[in-house]
Amino acid sequence: MSKLKRYSLMALCLVFLLGTLVACSGGGSANDNNTAANNESKQQAKSGEEIKLTFFNTSAEVNTVFEELFKKYKEINPNVTIELIPTPIGGAQIEIFQSRLASGNPPTISNLDAGHIYQYRDMFLDLESEKAKYEELTLPGAVEGGVFEGKFLGIPWTAQGYGLLYNKRVVEEAIGGPFDPSTIRTRDDLAALLEKIDAAGIPPVMIHGADWSLGAHYFALGFSLQSRDLQENLKYWEDVKAGNAKLADNEVFNGLMDTFDLLKQYNARKNDPLVANYELDSSDFAKGNTALYFMGDWAWAVIGNLEDRDSEFGILPLPISNNPEDYGNGQVAYSQPKLFAVDNTGSTPEQQQAALEFLEWMLTSEEGQQAIIGEMGLMMPYKDLKVESSNVIARAVADYVDAGETIDISIINYFPSDYWAKNGASMQKYLVDQIDRDAFYQEIEAYWQSVE
Amino acid sequence: MKNNKKLNNVGIFLFFGGPSLFAFAVVFLIPFIVGLYLTFTNWHIINNDWSFVGFSNYVDVFRDKTFLTQLEFTIWYVIFTVLISNFLAFFIALVLTSGVKGERWLRAGYFTPNLIGGIVLGYLWQTLFSRVLPFLGQQYGWTLFETSWLTSTDKAFWALVIATSWQLAGYLMIIYIAGFTGVPKDVLEAASIDGANKSTILRKIILRLSIPAIVVCIFLSLSRSFLTYDLNLSLTKGGPFGSTELATYHIVQKAFLSNQYAIGQAEAIILFVIVAVVALTQSYLLKKLEVEV
Repeated sequence: MSKLKRYSLMALCLVFLLGTLVACSGGGSANDNNTAANNESKQQAKSGEEIKLTFFNTSAEVNTVFEELFKKYKEINPNVTIELIPTPIGGAQIEIFQSRLASGNPPTISNLDAGHIYQYRDMFLDLESEKAKYEELTLPGAVEGGVFEGKFLGIPWTAQGYGLLYNKRVVEEAIGGPFDPSTIRTRDDLAALLEKIDAAGIPPVMIHGADWSLGAHYFALGFSLQSRDLQENLKYWEDVKAGNAKLADNEVFNGLMDTFDLLKQYNARKNDPLVANYELDSSDFAKGNTALYFMGDWAWAVIGNLEDRDSEFGILPLPISNNPEDYGNGQVAYSQPKLFAVDNTGSTPEQQQAALEFLEWMLTSEEGQQAIIGEMGLMMPYKDLKVESSNVIARAVADYVDAGETIDISIINYFPSDYWAKNGASMQKYLVDQIDRDAFYQEIEAYWQSVE
Repeated sequence: MKNNKKLNNVGIFLFFGGPSLFAFAVVFLIPFIVGLYLTFTNWHIINNDWSFVGFSNYVDVFRDKTFLTQLEFTIWYVIFTVLISNFLAFFIALVLTSGVKGERWLRAGYFTPNLIGGIVLGYLWQTLFSRVLPFLGQQYGWTLFETSWLTSTDKAFWALVIATSWQLAGYLMIIYIAGFTGVPKDVLEAASIDGANKSTILRKIILRLSIPAIVVCIFLSLSRSFLTYDLNLSLTKGGPFGSTELATYHIVQKAFLSNQYAIGQAEAIILFVIVAVVALTQSYLLKKLEVEV
């Protein structure tokens, strides 16, 4: 008996030893691989041999489009192989990125939320040498969206706008004539419109009850609308975190929530506001079962492919006061949600160079633009595009962008990664009247004060 | 000579036990120990800082009020899930060992939910609760189903319990069936000759003789429902407003969404201890009830 015990103990020790050995050799060989890869790729650069890149993608709904692009690029550049690291839609995305980093195996190119690039800013290549080129290629202000603490880390490739989308046919039927979106500049204007639509027997507005929509898109607008200056907004946010600023005293937040009360009153999902079925909400809007929808141009991914939908849609700014001149009443929120960043922790200079070349090809060539605009249905913040978008809502947003009437929401890039879930949960409670305005503000303030 | 034999034995042991021990160590033991160590540091992925902070993460866990409420929520969930799934499984097993027609097909049918992964199962029930039942409810005026169960705090809890029990019951049923078939026929026969009626036989004989199956079933359902994550994720996503986050869900959110890895890991360790204590105590206590034929 005791012998058996001794043996099993010995065996256990052996296993541990083996384990550590394997771990060590694993680390060692990884290093070897790295130096080997270094040497290899140096030679490759000369002889034009294989360079392998990895591409981490958080735009999960378009994984296949990217893969097609990689194949096309390989046809043109046979020595560059790009491997996609897919992530699940709406699932554990950043976790995969984290485990890649933790295991010392970072992806060469990452397509990440701007906020995540800011969080992991020390890991990415400073693209200073590329900055001038991209300033030339993109729309004014686009490159600034990828600059964090003075360093150009993320190349912009897509832009999104959101606000109150409207279904033109439904609105015009309800008001009995042509609809001019520029007539809605105050909360009272909006209230009058909602009442007319309601009187026509159509559920006036769809509030999508998901936490990301309520927390990130609706509530966070309040921080962006404090002023047109990002620094001022950041300062106000710091005051809220320090407990020096009370939301209840803030005109913008009160106005925003007053408008929310109005939307709530006319909500198409009034009897069960939190169902939050994105496909259903979007298709109900597209088919005219509701007139307005608080959402963005990305909804086109669902709407665009629907059968027997309406064809004309537009976007309204979300009025938060009764002064038509107030910031926000004439502007729509606009941002570059995703950026391409290049790794600077485990990649060789050759890999980085190849990555930058690929990105430039994808963003400027007709094939690349066809994939992004045509197949993904996204807006690109670039000049002289070779491809026309079929996304009606994106075109409506582009009108505001061209006129310079946009809300800069880049403050959210500085927010902690769980803010939308926490603020969204409080918004959900407010939406179903579980808490009143005071309790709501208290919850939100308590969250921000708990943030470091 | 003796030494040789020893070496031989070690060799044989390693040959047979080595691979599984190795796998166990790599995927379980080592991560567990590293994880335990992690809770005493303030590790963060961005700065890769491993500095030692003692028990402060555990102190933070007890300051994390949400975790404590979610833990309480989890315990209620476990109580109801274990009770419902075991009752259900016990009676289904009873019926399916009494010689019903098509017994085998029924057994296979009840077992099927177990073959569906938690995520798929969650989406299935989500459609049922948020689309199908409200549709029927509005059609026929059943007030209970008029709105989705997943948008109300209380009903979402029951939705979780129902979906988990439905899945677990089929699995536990198999174990109960095995337990029942182990009850000797002669004992049952003797009892009925002595004039015991059906309920007496059930209470005094079948129940007592299937204690081992009950212990296993309760142990399994306890640990499984304590560690439910996938179903929670796909069925309610912790909503409405975070009211149905089970402990595991909260831990994952804490670590990977709020980026507080060490605290999340400390919470995981606490959960581990709770599950271990509860599961072992119950099997110790119930085992005492075992009888020999």
